[in-house]
Amino acid sequence: MLLAGGAAYALGAAATRAFTLPADVVTAIPIVALAVLVVVRWPWRPQPLVLPLPETRDSGTPPRSGHPFRAWAVLFAVVVAWELVEYLASGSRGEHPTLSSIADAVDRSYVLKAAVFFGWLCLGACILRRGARALPGAEGSTRPTGSTGPAEDL
Amino acid sequence: MIAAVSYAVWVVLGVCALGLWARSRSSQASVARPAVVVERLATGPLLRILLVLAWMWAGWHLFAR
Repeated sequence: MLLAGGAAYALGAAATRAFTLPADVVTAIPIVALAVLVVVRWPWRPQPLVLPLPETRDSGTPPRSGHPFRAWAVLFAVVVAWELVEYLASGSRGEHPTLSSIADAVDRSYVLKAAVFFGWLCLGACILRRGARALPGAEGSTRPTGSTGPAEDL
Repeated sequence: MIAAVSYAVWVVLGVCALGLWARSRSSQASVARPAVVVERLATGPLLRILLVLAWMWAGWHLFAR
């Protein structure tokens, strides 16, 4: 039901044009909604998620190496660095595309824009739900109805 | 030529992201799944604020501006 509603909303939002009042309104509604919901549903004092490494999780043997978030952090850093290189490079945006200019090209297609908007809504819902799981001193007992646990993924 | 190199780098970065996602789904994965990464960010006292602000900014920048 929520997915269908989100998809319908995204289809409607994709029909708007940037720099117009309708686009501002349809974009502002989810932003305000998430702001309200995180204040209402998120704990004031969260406990950061700590993951056991795979080896200790399953067999109790010492961890091999690495950190489960390191690869993602490195990739994020490289993306940010390349975005800055492209943004600051002299020359046209066509020669040095940034994520924004690529997104502009994607937004010219109604279907792609609707898909990107839907993905943005889904990410917001994921952020809200994941953040609502962490209440101090009550691990595992604070999941909202309908969630299935840490193994659930995107 | 310059544009081709730029787009190629973006494609490589996208492929790397897909590769990490695929690797995170194996049973003995040493890489966290994307949803777990989001959960880690959303449960950090400061990170969760930055995460929400980043989501808001991304939406406004992409669709409204």
